[in-house]
Amino acid sequence: MTEHLPIIIILGPLLGAVLAAFTAWFRPKLSHPLVFVGLAISFAAALKLVFIVADAGAQKYWLGGWGTKQGHGVVGIQITVDHLNTLLLAAVSGIALLTTLYTKRLVDAELARRQRYFYALFSLLVTGLLGITITGDIFNLYVFMEIAALSSYALIAYGRGRAYMAAFNYLIMGTMGACLYLLGVGFVFAKTGTLNIDDVSAIIPELGQSQALFVGFVLILLGAWAKMAFFPFHGWLPNSYAYAPTASTALLAPLATKVSVYAMLRIMVTVYSIDYIIHSPATQSLVLYLSSIAIVAASFFSLTQTNLKKLAAYFVLSEIGYMVGGAWLANKPGLTGAMVHVVADAAMTSALFMAIGCIVYRLGQAQLDDLKGVFFKMPVTMAAFVVTMAALIGVPPTCGFFSKWYLIQGAAQAGVWHFVAALLLSSLVKAIILFRIIEIGYNRVPHPAIEGNPAIPRNEAPLSMLIPTVAMALGLIALGLVTSTLVNTIISKALPAALTP
Amino acid sequence: MENLIANFNYVIVVILMMIGLWSMLAQKNLIKKCIGMAIFQTGIILFFISIGAKDNALIPILTEAANHTYPDPDIAKIANPLTQILMLTAIVVGVATLGVGLALAQKIYQQHSSFDEDEILENQRK
Repeated sequence: MTEHLPIIIILGPLLGAVLAAFTAWFRPKLSHPLVFVGLAISFAAALKLVFIVADAGAQKYWLGGWGTKQGHGVVGIQITVDHLNTLLLAAVSGIALLTTLYTKRLVDAELARRQRYFYALFSLLVTGLLGITITGDIFNLYVFMEIAALSSYALIAYGRGRAYMAAFNYLIMGTMGACLYLLGVGFVFAKTGTLNIDDVSAIIPELGQSQALFVGFVLILLGAWAKMAFFPFHGWLPNSYAYAPTASTALLAPLATKVSVYAMLRIMVTVYSIDYIIHSPATQSLVLYLSSIAIVAASFFSLTQTNLKKLAAYFVLSEIGYMVGGAWLANKPGLTGAMVHVVADAAMTSALFMAIGCIVYRLGQAQLDDLKGVFFKMPVTMAAFVVTMAALIGVPPTCGFFSKWYLIQGAAQAGVWHFVAALLLSSLVKAIILFRIIEIGYNRVPHPAIEGNPAIPRNEAPLSMLIPTVAMALGLIALGLVTSTLVNTIISKALPAALTP
Repeated sequence: MENLIANFNYVIVVILMMIGLWSMLAQKNLIKKCIGMAIFQTGIILFFISIGAKDNALIPILTEAANHTYPDPDIAKIANPLTQILMLTAIVVGVATLGVGLALAQKIYQQHSSFDEDEILENQRK
């Protein structure tokens, strides 16, 4: 049974999506529990695999039994769970599971009668994201990328109004990214004759210096950057996340971009070797400058925003800069930081958008000025919000502190001081924004929409939303406390052996 | 130059992709953007098919009737089937993307009675 766990991770949400789309015809109420069960199975399998991988190393699975276990010559598609992706698999399925619980009331309120296919798309998106993370085949990665992307266009377009144009821009940018990625895969395939990640990584060193392989590398990375909204390709993200329904954003923002960052890490660390980056210092320093610009520009724009959702979308953009920069430092602490931050940032962004969702549920919108008195009316939500912001700023003992610590260490070791400065500046900006929200939120005059019954002083979001939010915020502290264990037992083994300590 | 003529299919790939990219990024009309997307994908499909093609190659079906070298095939005489199968998948993905793109464009048209990006943005600002 345990040898089939890797495929169960994908099958859970995939079957959930198919069944939910099917039952939506005659029994729409059934789709939410179906999707929930599918994700629960997937999360259980992913959690079990974390322990298996920590004990016994990478687990490989050949779909349909095609292919041999020895050397070259894998015919079918292989899926792999190793030290690099096991934590992210657990994080993606776990966050998706909590978000499913959390979004039920939000969807009822925001989408009402239009929600028929929402959970089918939701589950399909998670299938795509888990597929990108788990696959051991570079073309299969493209297919899962498009599964995730197509369902996310639809989830964004659920927002109506301006969301249509935002989704269309995302579609153009996302398709361009996927096509560039596919073109890069073509170059790799033409040189190596295989698509299996293990085989490609074995063959590439044998080929030595090759122009075509380098072009493939650049094209694949450009594609991944367009998908993750890295600096020059970031234009689609703020509008998409701000105008999408809050329920969609609660799933998209924490997971979609992070999984693309993982895809980039997989290409950099496993498919190509990290030497590719070390031996091209000009490209490396260019990318590091771009990440610093991404962080600084996104922080600056987040200061000027008045809408809470858009502000949080700019936070997502600056966090992308952290991870890309950390990975391109190409030294041990930098890569560790990037790998930890992928998981930590997924959790932080999820907690942030859950808290924002609770506020939106009560206020109907999320302008900063509407937050007056919110600390008195929704104390539990705001406590979770403050913990999340503290994690984003990087206050110990939350998980944000540790990943940022690794990143700064890596940048200092590589002597890239502009990246250190950008990291510190973005923390500072987030602190400023937190204090601004505290100042508005402790204003004694509450917004009329959240005043409610004057006899009842509190007006929290429903428990089905509040509990996941609080659980996620506490999870940030718990994740921070176990960070060193995770780094020692799992992430340190995912680092390429060639790195200097 | 001779190299270019010998590999003219790759030249066409580059031209197709440039047309597609330009019309995705520079055109203001949403439908033209969708068309550009389709052209870009076509360029990539042609690229993959070109990788797998070989001179005077046979179809990759190894039966006695179809291939006289059966059961010990001469690899140089058989086209690579993998690229064609990959492109079948890519065509399906492309059609799905185009469908979603056109559906979104139609929804935008219902709202703004226009496909022009500038006009739509101006409408939204009001």
